[in-house]
Amino acid sequence: MKKIAALILVMLLALGCVAFAEGDEITLDVIICQYGPNTQDWFLGTGMDGTNFVDKFEAENPGIKLNLEVVSWNDVYTEVSTRIQNNNAPDILNIDVFANYAADGLLLPVKDYCPDELFEDFFPSFIAQSVIDDTVWAVPDLASARALYVNKDILDEVGVEIPTTWAELEDACQAIVDFYGGDVYPWGIDMTTDEGQAAFSYYVWNNDGGFVDADGNVALNSDKNVEAIEFAIGLVNKGFTNPNPATQTRYDLQDMFGAGKLAMVIAPNQLPSYLADKGYEVNWETAALPVNEGATPGATGVMDRVMAFKDDEYPDQAARNEAIGKFLTFFYAPENYVGWVSMEGFLPAVNSSVAALVEADPSFEAWLAVLDSCQFYPTALDNWDAIKQGVIDVEQQALTGGDVKTLLDDLQAKIAG
Amino acid sequence: MNTIPIRHKWEPYLWLLPSLLLMSIFVVFPIGIVFKLSVSEISKSGVVRGFIGLKNFRDAFRDPAFGTVMLNTAVWVVSVVGLSTLLGFITAMALNAKFFGRKVARSIVVFPWATSLVIQASVWNYIIKGEYGNLNNILLNLGVIKSAVNWRATYQIEFAWECGVGIFVTIPFVAFTVLAGLQSIDDAYYEAATVDGAGFWKKLRHVTIPLVKPSLTVCTVLNIIYVFNSFPIIYTITKGAPANKTDTMVTLLYMRAFYDNQKGPATAMSVIGFAILCVCAGAYMMTTMRKEEA
Repeated sequence: MKKIAALILVMLLALGCVAFAEGDEITLDVIICQYGPNTQDWFLGTGMDGTNFVDKFEAENPGIKLNLEVVSWNDVYTEVSTRIQNNNAPDILNIDVFANYAADGLLLPVKDYCPDELFEDFFPSFIAQSVIDDTVWAVPDLASARALYVNKDILDEVGVEIPTTWAELEDACQAIVDFYGGDVYPWGIDMTTDEGQAAFSYYVWNNDGGFVDADGNVALNSDKNVEAIEFAIGLVNKGFTNPNPATQTRYDLQDMFGAGKLAMVIAPNQLPSYLADKGYEVNWETAALPVNEGATPGATGVMDRVMAFKDDEYPDQAARNEAIGKFLTFFYAPENYVGWVSMEGFLPAVNSSVAALVEADPSFEAWLAVLDSCQFYPTALDNWDAIKQGVIDVEQQALTGGDVKTLLDDLQAKIAG
Repeated sequence: MNTIPIRHKWEPYLWLLPSLLLMSIFVVFPIGIVFKLSVSEISKSGVVRGFIGLKNFRDAFRDPAFGTVMLNTAVWVVSVVGLSTLLGFITAMALNAKFFGRKVARSIVVFPWATSLVIQASVWNYIIKGEYGNLNNILLNLGVIKSAVNWRATYQIEFAWECGVGIFVTIPFVAFTVLAGLQSIDDAYYEAATVDGAGFWKKLRHVTIPLVKPSLTVCTVLNIIYVFNSFPIIYTITKGAPANKTDTMVTLLYMRAFYDNQKGPATAMSVIGFAILCVCAGAYMMTTMRKEEA
């Protein structure tokens, strides 16, 4: 009996403490995606000049506590949807997609919590990617751009120039095959379940095609798209590429490129640091993606976002919005943000950090120019996930002998109908 | 006066209570939730919207990949369970024989089982890699092949590799369950059979198999369930690519739930899988038990 009484007493005390703590300050649940080996350390360890983001933020913003979790990209979708199902969505989420959350009415409009000064700081073309029905639902946290990387030693040895058009690309591939036999794959192609939509964009955007038409309507089976995907599949069938595009991921390709087994690969701007980290020594050079003769070149940009979820039960909404705003202001302050972006080799999303980034690494300037001309996936469409998995399915069906036109027609009918 | 008999009546239940509680919290309750979700509308981001009848099941059956994936699942379960049972049985017989280094051999056999499946699958992924895979490296160094071979040339071959890895990692489980059964067989039976003039095959058929049958039955039922629900091998090696042609039901429903955000049909698929497993395991147990009774 005494034991039970003691137990009840302890539980009451604990409850009292929690209640007291909640009355005094606000705790924000934050989920951050793991961009690389340094993310965890920067946010929670000692990676921010001996301290970390959470400690520094809490010291500068008394009254706001962060319950911050760094989650791997493999798990984040599962974790977020489980939390939504359990009515336990995070306050702040860093992820790539946002349209489904917005469609379910789970997100707060950015204007509710983002201070004006910070909002003006974002690149307008980036903000435009997160608009549905004239409302901005998320802000970009960083971006990366894709470019062609070539192994200069291989190209020089074979005696070909870096290809700029599809015709030149095929000639270069043929020359590499003739020279090396099967020992070097001329061209890397990744049509995997993980990122096959990127391959789709590399070819359709360099043939004046795309996921959507000029009016923003889904247009997957345009003649330009069919031509582009047939060209890409043709490269595989002619033996110009890595042998298993449906299962060889971008990381497999990057490793092959590093090991000198692959002459050309399309990769993000972080490739050089990836190669250096893994100890590969390649004489690489970067160039724009090859384009079909006469088409406008289109670079592929990838952008991730930060968004805030509603919490209707929270008693003081204004205080909560203000706390979220303070989180963002702190995150994007140049003294913090420059470290974050350069740490994993990404490109910035705000103007205020550009000068410092270019000063630290002059090669950034070229990438910023690429970023200007980048196209992004139409992630604001509420059926983007179906489009994305759909084009991957088309590519993989085509790899096993399916007819590109029929497949794209069927996909268009399924998505639009 | 009669407190003792009453206590005897409820006491076993008291001791069972913790495991019953655990089972209901971690097994029965989640199964109930899955059943409920399978008849609910679930938004793409995971919000549960309420009852929609059997629409999720209709969508699941209409999934363009459903037919291929059911066939794959059947091939996967039959080949992995069938071959691992056969090979596991042979391994158990070998390990039961008395030979020098038997203990070492037994621990080596248990290794694949003691390693996590994801790691096993990743290691095999490296072994069969075309460009710098271990298999190619070894064969090249031995001079067996002149240039690297693409060990995953078609998706049928990739699926065969996946089945092979499944068999490899399942053999130890069968071998050790059967070995336990073999060790419990009294040598007197074999001596009697020898006296009656029975050879190896006759002893196997009339002594060994009937006596290890109970452990073999348990092992096969468990195996059907494990293998049907096995996710890491296929997810690690092909992720179902190309175009779901190497998916089984479990990997497909994961893809549908978390890649395509079709959470409703995915839950329906898991209920369908549950039903299939109940039928398979039930049928197998009933036939083997009936034979035992006869």
